[in-house]
Amino acid sequence: MTGTAQPSPEMSGWGTVPAGGRSLFRDLPIILAGLALFYGLLSFGRYSVGPASTQAEIELHPAALPRYALYSVLRIAIAYGFSLVFTLIYGYIAAYNRKAERFMIPLLDTLQSIPVLSFLPGVMISMVALFPTRQLGVELGSILLIFTGQVWNMTFSFYSSLKNIPREMYEAAQVYQLSWWQRFRQLQLPYAAIGLIWNSMMSVAGGWFFLMACEMFVLGNRDLRLPGLGSYLQTAANAGNTRAILAGLAVMIGIIVLLDRLVWRPVIAWSEKFKFEQVEAAEAARSRILDMLRRSRLLALVGQRSMMPVREALDLHFARAHAALPAPAKSRTSAWVMRIIGFLALAGLAYAIVRMLTLAASVSWPDLRAILLGAGATFLRVEFVLLLAALWTIPLGTVIGLHPTRSAVAQPLAQIAASVPATALFPIILLVLIRLGGGLGIGSIVLLLLGTQWYILFNVIAGASAIPTDLKEVCDIYQFTRWERWRRLFLPGIFPYLVTGFVTASGGAWNASIVAEYFHFRGQTLSTVGLGAVISRATDGGNFRMLMAATLVMAMIVVTINRVLWRRLYALAATRFKLEA
Amino acid sequence: MVQRLDPGAAASVCAALPFEQQQVLFRTLPNHFAAALISHFPYYHTYVLLHSRPLAEMRAIVDRLDPTERMRFFDELPEEAWQRLMDELAAAPAEAPLRAVAAPVAPTPAVEKIIEARQVEKTFQQPDGHEIQVIAPLDLSIESGAIIALLGASGCGKSTLLRILSGLTKPSSGTVLWHGNPLAACGPNVAIVFQSFALFPWLTVLENVEAPLLARGMPHFQRHRRALAALNSVGLKGFDNAFPKELSGGMKQRVGFARALAVEPEVLFMDEPFSALDVLTAESLRGELMELWLKKQIPTRSIFLVTHNIEEAVLLADRVIVLGRNPAHIRADFRIPITQPRDRKSAEFLVYVDYIYKVMTQPELELAPPARREPLARAHFQRLPHAKPGGMAGLLEFLNDRGGQEDLYHLADELLMEVDDLFPIVEEAVLLGFAQSREGDVEITPAGKAFAEADIASRKRLFREAALAHVALVQQIRCALEKKSDGTMPLEFFKDILDEHLPAEEVQRQIETILDWGRYAEIFTYDSETDRLLLHQPASAANSDTAPLH
Repeated sequence: MTGTAQPSPEMSGWGTVPAGGRSLFRDLPIILAGLALFYGLLSFGRYSVGPASTQAEIELHPAALPRYALYSVLRIAIAYGFSLVFTLIYGYIAAYNRKAERFMIPLLDTLQSIPVLSFLPGVMISMVALFPTRQLGVELGSILLIFTGQVWNMTFSFYSSLKNIPREMYEAAQVYQLSWWQRFRQLQLPYAAIGLIWNSMMSVAGGWFFLMACEMFVLGNRDLRLPGLGSYLQTAANAGNTRAILAGLAVMIGIIVLLDRLVWRPVIAWSEKFKFEQVEAAEAARSRILDMLRRSRLLALVGQRSMMPVREALDLHFARAHAALPAPAKSRTSAWVMRIIGFLALAGLAYAIVRMLTLAASVSWPDLRAILLGAGATFLRVEFVLLLAALWTIPLGTVIGLHPTRSAVAQPLAQIAASVPATALFPIILLVLIRLGGGLGIGSIVLLLLGTQWYILFNVIAGASAIPTDLKEVCDIYQFTRWERWRRLFLPGIFPYLVTGFVTASGGAWNASIVAEYFHFRGQTLSTVGLGAVISRATDGGNFRMLMAATLVMAMIVVTINRVLWRRLYALAATRFKLEA
Repeated sequence: MVQRLDPGAAASVCAALPFEQQQVLFRTLPNHFAAALISHFPYYHTYVLLHSRPLAEMRAIVDRLDPTERMRFFDELPEEAWQRLMDELAAAPAEAPLRAVAAPVAPTPAVEKIIEARQVEKTFQQPDGHEIQVIAPLDLSIESGAIIALLGASGCGKSTLLRILSGLTKPSSGTVLWHGNPLAACGPNVAIVFQSFALFPWLTVLENVEAPLLARGMPHFQRHRRALAALNSVGLKGFDNAFPKELSGGMKQRVGFARALAVEPEVLFMDEPFSALDVLTAESLRGELMELWLKKQIPTRSIFLVTHNIEEAVLLADRVIVLGRNPAHIRADFRIPITQPRDRKSAEFLVYVDYIYKVMTQPELELAPPARREPLARAHFQRLPHAKPGGMAGLLEFLNDRGGQEDLYHLADELLMEVDDLFPIVEEAVLLGFAQSREGDVEITPAGKAFAEADIASRKRLFREAALAHVALVQQIRCALEKKSDGTMPLEFFKDILDEHLPAEEVQRQIETILDWGRYAEIFTYDSETDRLLLHQPASAANSDTAPLH
């Protein structure tokens, strides 16, 4: 061993600081962004601890928009932060505790199928009760609502990533005695990063989708509204103020595009290094913002002075703690504590189930009939929407995906189109529809379509672009007819992706029915027959019995469809239609 | 007709045919010729041609392959094909099973045991509740100062055994001791090099090597220096900031080695470390590892290598353990006393390769490992069948009468002989090139036909030529006698040579046989009064001229 390393700061591996020059100029945007963020947080904090004003008047003046937009962004961001923390803890426990896994995963499956609004009364009442005099209570309630719309798919993604870590990598961590912290930082989190990032994007998009429902709602006799972009749009729709609707919509789209550029793209480009591949990909995602951050001398210095020592201290602390107790034998007391906690949780769960069932059982016959009728109507509506979406996305998506040049043009356009939350467009669509003589019957279908078709489209594009070139060439050489091409290659080729798209779209459509089938517009309430409408009306009217029963029905339907249909198709896709390199 | 050609020429003739016809032709070839022929083909060709024969014949052909060629063939086969072939060979009955039975050689007891497994066993619960046993209770220890190779077919449980010994997996029952204490409580100082490298793709090469050091709580500066030194020792200086995906397979495995060596493990475990690499890369990496080990440049006291590659095991290991299957059990455990560096072309090396091959393909047999001195003997010494030339002449005449080919058992019936008595005669004819034996058939060769049809004087000449060409001992004796001015040597001298290789009674029988053959061929005679061998004095000059010079 002939180590030639000498003690010098350059050799220390802290990450070298980019060389100076016009560093202040280069760092200016970063400094300004930091200051703006600080101001935003400060004003949001001041507002939150202020006295409760649940009846806050929403000004439709465009000048109020920046403040509202900021509040909404912060709400979504905080909800996302909660989601992330929840995901990491829940996913970790579910993946590594076999006993817990047995009930945590079905529970997650069920929670995922419950629409956002069904959580509303419970969440709101408990939060307002916690902070009765402060704005913080309602605010936290709203954030938690957004959280319930964001968290589940992230948790699933993290859990399944952890489960799929290659055995030998895990064994390497084990044999080299990495502490749990080092495993988490160097193995589990990086391995799960890409899935987590893509699901985060989807989750935040979902947050925008349900923003109107989460910022403004009626709870029994209380009309709760929070200053924000969602409530601005809702108020504008109520008032029939087209100019305000358009202004709000423009700001929302602007923010979404900006977030995409400033946050998601850099993050995706950064996450390239977590790709689990043996060889380097030919083209990697790039981001100018990321390049700027990477070149920044200021950030590098901050990182070197603060982050690195903290990380080092943490790493060493956990490593030494790990080394101090090499035998992983669990102490008896902790096993007992776990058992008691588990027992209490089970008891609580059993009690909740009993209460829920007695409440649901007391639903009157006409109410039950309304629920079942609504369920049938929504079922037909959702399936119809999926069919419509499939009809146009499969041919178009395939055609786009088959040609790299075409998809290079079409993909960003589709991404922008998809990122606009359909709910924000809803007032405009309704205006047009009403002018044409249609009503919410058609409107709900349009909204569901707008909300869910993108999942199918993106998956079809991804599937078509994954079809190997040599198979396409085989079709050319043997002069397959167009029909044969579709039947023999394209449809089987995109099948696994299509199933993924359908699963997401179907779940999303059921959830979106609560906003699609029931809408406050121009001072009146539009609604159509459907389970979503039943749930929304029950929330508005504070009818918990009805809310509980309808939610149960919806959760059961979604879980059943998942188990009976989608899971089998998944299995089929994974075995028969897998295209292996 | 093809068989008259030299196997190399025959191979090129064969290769020129359409493949279907190649297979048809190949099916008609006698086993030994088939073996000589296919070793001229690339491995995939050999593999497919072999499979055009029935299982038993395929086995016979593979058994007959020249050991060097067989080693090369096995080495080149992809792992799955290798696996399948080994399964098939193990299922087919061996043509001539080895009869030697002996207890496995225990490792030298004086050496300190670092890891000791006592009656470890592993069972897995299947989903339907059935338990399957993957490892039968076994004892195994890793002593210091040795490279130990664990050989076995893939899926036989050898990787599981490695995981038990390294403390990754707990055995279902039994104990594993680390310096005499339970392994689980110790936190053993071991490292593993994985087949799939198991590097973290998001960490740089340097960070990958540093990770285990960080886990030991080593402060930043020290671990940085140690990791750089480890990278240096495997020849990866300057690659510290690269990511694993930027490296070739061989370089990735070097990082794997550097990571393992950086922790300075007492025992270095390696799980098929070279099988994901191409042949050349694997070879150079093996060489570098051996250099580090032999020059004691690494503080590692013992290396435990899991492999399916026989040649690799013989090349690297001081001790080889062969694992049997269903459930895993130790089939053989022996030392390889060849000094390093080893020459894979040496006779000694091949003997071990051949021995392991036999152990792995004859699951029903208990085999004695080759002894230290024996390999040389086996390679150079040819045991003569105890048969007299007259008997052979009779056999050849009979065969010639019967159209040149006959079933051995049928032949024994016709001649009213026991097969066991007929066997040496057939062997003699085969040894001298007068007949061929194939799957229980005896077939006369052109030389044999000439012998059968010749008169007595010509027979003696043909026999002499054949004996000098094929029988090493005859050559040796004639050579020795010719070098003496008086043309005589004491018989004791030749007895002594044989004594080194054979038990006493066998020496006596060999001597009798060789005297018979020598007299018949008129090469030498034996004088019982002086107990000496004399070079045959030709009755006429003409006779001596016809003797071929070799």
